[in-house]
Amino acid sequence: MLDRIIATLLENQNADGGYGSLRGKRSNTESTALAVTALKTLAESSAAENRKRGIDWLVQRQNKEGSWPLNETVKQGSWTTALAITALSDSQEHDERALAAARWLLEQEGSKPGILAEIILWATGKSNVNKLNKDLIGWSWVPNSFSWVEPTSYALIAVKKLRPRLAGTNVDERIRQADAMIYDRMCNGGGWNYGNSKVLDYALWPYPDITALALIAMQDRAREKANQESLQVLTKIARETDSGLALCWAAICLNVYGQDNSEFQRMIDKRFAASKFLGETKSLALAIIALGDKANPFRI
Amino acid sequence: MRRRDFLKYTALGSLSTTLANCRSSVRWQPEAFRKKASSRVAILAAKSYDQSLKDVILRGIKLCALQVTGKRVVLKPNLVEFDPKGVINTNPAVIEAAIDAFRSLGAAEVIVAEGPGHRRDNEYLLSASGLYDVIREHKVRYVDLNSDDVRATPVRSSFTNFKELYLPETLFNADLLVSMPKLKTHHWAGVTLSMKNLFGIVPGTVYGWPKNILHWQGIDNSILDINSSLPLPQFSIVDGIVGMEGNGPLQGQAKNSGVLIFGDDFVSVDASAARLMKLEPRKVIHLAKAGEFLGNLNYEKIEQIGEKLESLQQDFSVIEDLKDLKKITG
Repeated sequence: MLDRIIATLLENQNADGGYGSLRGKRSNTESTALAVTALKTLAESSAAENRKRGIDWLVQRQNKEGSWPLNETVKQGSWTTALAITALSDSQEHDERALAAARWLLEQEGSKPGILAEIILWATGKSNVNKLNKDLIGWSWVPNSFSWVEPTSYALIAVKKLRPRLAGTNVDERIRQADAMIYDRMCNGGGWNYGNSKVLDYALWPYPDITALALIAMQDRAREKANQESLQVLTKIARETDSGLALCWAAICLNVYGQDNSEFQRMIDKRFAASKFLGETKSLALAIIALGDKANPFRI
Repeated sequence: MRRRDFLKYTALGSLSTTLANCRSSVRWQPEAFRKKASSRVAILAAKSYDQSLKDVILRGIKLCALQVTGKRVVLKPNLVEFDPKGVINTNPAVIEAAIDAFRSLGAAEVIVAEGPGHRRDNEYLLSASGLYDVIREHKVRYVDLNSDDVRATPVRSSFTNFKELYLPETLFNADLLVSMPKLKTHHWAGVTLSMKNLFGIVPGTVYGWPKNILHWQGIDNSILDINSSLPLPQFSIVDGIVGMEGNGPLQGQAKNSGVLIFGDDFVSVDASAARLMKLEPRKVIHLAKAGEFLGNLNYEKIEQIGEKLESLQQDFSVIEDLKDLKKITG
């Protein structure tokens, strides 16, 4: 099955070397970075030319200040920079690129509501519309906006991988605060959704893909009670989810935590046979990582 | 100040927008928007999802004199989130019937497209909601609007700070956008119908999940700017067979209403839908404002056809902060 998944992923590669979200879509950084990350887990000789062309696409699109754009239409530095770092970070050849991108990433901060908004919230007794600590800063989807779990997780994985080489930066403080933000956004009982555990006194529920991603980002705190609870939640909810994306992230996460993921690997096989993951590059790339036997590139 | 007002003006951070709006009283160019003298809205009874909905939809399309032949049609349901115990989504039976109906009327292509606001996981949402079986059986192309290729388009009104919006390429390549919302209350916007449903065309890869940047700009402001800037003609089919009352759009209760609502003026359709819920559309902020330039809000400007609105009205409950919407003024 892995061979079929690899072949399907390679069909999504564009003539320019990059990958779009689906076959025939224009290349973007997220899809290309994940595809490159996946292809790098294969044997050196396998898909070598495809891998090189993917890396070249990334290298050629890096912005001068170190970031990566979302795609060739939206060119400002984006959240996908963290994924490009992960794709390039274990290569000496592209070491400086990854470090430049990590430094750019460390300058990006999610923002919080202005003081006037806080005063109105306080004065109207509506400070608890959501159950989250707005002072904890992680990373946002859109520059200068609120922090959310998924972009913060991608950024944490990237900067934690490069942490020893980012001495003299604010990396330790950014990680400390982003870790706290992730824990603050955890759903009641464990697990994460996009980053909000409650609205208007109603509890919201966790998603398997985001739970796995947050756990991967927090793998250096694996023994924390929150991690262990969330790992159990992940195992339960991922089993109930008909989705390549969710199953792949769950399998990758369990591998990172040193747990048996063979049940999820079998489910990935079945799901691919049933849906081809809708042809989504992201899921195909993650499946290659989840089913492969090489080092997990999301291990910090 | 009530929560709804507060959220309108701040929405966890939309103060700069509000202040900008205070400075500028002209938020759209009148010559750029021409409302029709009157708008037609068809309200048709549809008691359950088990009946032949294709016939009802065909009748609704014909009553509204919508031309479909040769057109590439994008059906945009509401698939924002899934809860097995809830009624969040446009029912797949309605979407299936719409696919059949538009094809039988000679549409060049029918596409189902959505950019879910909370989840990135399309495969899960499609499978769990039952829509995956529909699109597979009918061999319909599904487009994830969150990760579609994008194109910038100028914003034609100025309620937010956005000068341009990145919208999915699929919309620019289509001839007709059919908003297919669920008939629901919304704890912040009052109602979520044809207009609010279009938060789902804003691509998540650019604007994030849960599309919070739109909330920072003010939910009503964002609804208005998105709807004023659509690059293609529109039509609406509201799934009101079973709606949602109370704490919508996710955690409210099911409300049997037994209707489908049709029309090409989103403001008129949503105003009629609000009236069906016994909510005052002129008190729904984005509808009140949209009635000034995007479409017809007033009852006398809406040509109501099909069933009598009054005969199908249901008393939808709302959260405490929205009680004012229950005071019908006309």
